[in-house]
Amino acid sequence: MKKVMALSRITFLEGIRNRSVFGIALFSLFILGLNIAVAGFFMRDVGKVTVDMNLSALSVAGLLLVFFVGVNLMAKDIDRKTIHLVLSKPISRMEYIWGKYLGILFFIATSLAVLLVLSCLTVLLLNGMYAGYFGAFSWPMFFTAAFFVFVKIAVLGAIVVFFSTITSNSFITLIFSICAFIIGTTIEEVVFYLRSGFAEQEIAISESLRKFIEAVSYLVPNLAAFDFKTEAAHGLAVGWGRIGFSLGYGAVYVILLLILASVIFSRREFN
Amino acid sequence: MIELKSLYKTYSPGLFKKKVPAVRGLSLEINHGDVIGLVGPNGAGKSTTIRMLLGLIRPDRGSISFRGVPLKDADIQYDIGYLPENPYLYDHLTLEELLAFSGRASGLSSAETKKRGGELMEKLAMTEARKRPLRTFSKGMLQRAGICFALLHDPSVVILDEPMSGLDPVGRKMVFDLVTDLKGQGKTIFFCSHILNDVERLCDRIGLMVGGRLLRVLKREDFAAHGEASLHLVVNRLGEQELSGLHPLLSDIAEESGRHVLSFPAKSLTAVSEQLHALNVEVLASRSDRLSLEEMFMQAVEENR
Repeated sequence: MKKVMALSRITFLEGIRNRSVFGIALFSLFILGLNIAVAGFFMRDVGKVTVDMNLSALSVAGLLLVFFVGVNLMAKDIDRKTIHLVLSKPISRMEYIWGKYLGILFFIATSLAVLLVLSCLTVLLLNGMYAGYFGAFSWPMFFTAAFFVFVKIAVLGAIVVFFSTITSNSFITLIFSICAFIIGTTIEEVVFYLRSGFAEQEIAISESLRKFIEAVSYLVPNLAAFDFKTEAAHGLAVGWGRIGFSLGYGAVYVILLLILASVIFSRREFN
Repeated sequence: MIELKSLYKTYSPGLFKKKVPAVRGLSLEINHGDVIGLVGPNGAGKSTTIRMLLGLIRPDRGSISFRGVPLKDADIQYDIGYLPENPYLYDHLTLEELLAFSGRASGLSSAETKKRGGELMEKLAMTEARKRPLRTFSKGMLQRAGICFALLHDPSVVILDEPMSGLDPVGRKMVFDLVTDLKGQGKTIFFCSHILNDVERLCDRIGLMVGGRLLRVLKREDFAAHGEASLHLVVNRLGEQELSGLHPLLSDIAEESGRHVLSFPAKSLTAVSEQLHALNVEVLASRSDRLSLEEMFMQAVEENR
């Protein structure tokens, strides 16, 4: 565990000092500032729009962090052969995978925590300015939704680590990870549509395609399971059952993916 | 201590591309306290050999054992310090943080890490730069930082892949002294280099590697004897009469680019000089013994082209 933590520490430091982080933070600040500037245009919906924009800013920042900094933290090690130096130390390949993943996780958690504080300040400010339109707003629901933004990014972090183990190029890792994100975000709707019966009335879908999409839906994470934006924007209560299920689903997916990544990585050769 | 037995390794560059044999039937035994250097042109298989030894790649055939235990069962990383050629270190870390990681990964306590790290940084003149991000380091500084990283846990076996590469003369001297110091401590040192002078001065044995094959392993006695005994003079192409006059004094006559290279024992210098003067032969250049190793190396490369 000491070695895993040592590796996660340097991964975290390497990530947090990356200059791209400042760019991503500035982008998020711009969205939050924009939220303050345009909030007055939305009249009665100002509360909903504020929550939606803040959570979206967190989500986009998280995506940029994991895709651009996270990919570099893992895949560049292999690309630039820094891994030769690291694996010349008594660190097993499995420890390497977990150390890198935890480092990426700490880095994303820290970055998102800072952005969440700024986001809370924005919400507080707008709540003060338009108190009458924040009737349905709930802090616990806002924090739950923000936490699940982090869970979604944590799952994507595991996907980045997994793809880094099967490719030797950071660009390919990035492309695969973005594809997994796009499929993961939309797969629930696609499967729901196919099962609804409307699909048969509207377009002809072959059985093999239907089976393929079903299979993909089990392989790719259903990222919609971590989306609590609508509930947070409308102040709707979410049961512990759904929270527990989403959290458990995310945790199991990450663990399985990292175990698979460790197995592949331990067989891999580093030329 | 380390035994490499009939190692073969072929790389597959990709689909529809021809496989590239990197190492072919390499066998080598490295004993405790040995300082052994591998020399060879680019693509000779030196780095592949090191990577197999580190477990980064697996041989297709053959076996590697460390202290009699097969490599996969031997925790070799605890005993090994490795410096790759052109080490790519983490850009945003400082040297201190890098060494802290190296210490923790090798199971050292914080106090031990600080002590060893301090000593190594002092020895390699890196103390001043210890708090600077590694991305601001020059190539030579990165090389020295890599050496600190490799040696922090005081390994008994040190593997250095082109340790002098990219270093200025001061840096080279520093690394040279460090390796000499490690040699004095009885460490087993295995390194690859293109700089024959360094290899010759540091190594007890030199392996000549070409095209994935280990062609020759020269012992210190071989090249030391060669160095003490022979001198080499380059002259214009000689005629029959001149050659017959000089022949009894020479140990070897080689022809090279339309010139003759005369080799003779150092003790015959006066006699050879007098004879050359008598025959009115002009000496164009003299060669050091180092060139002989270089010539041996070039000869091996040519033979295996």
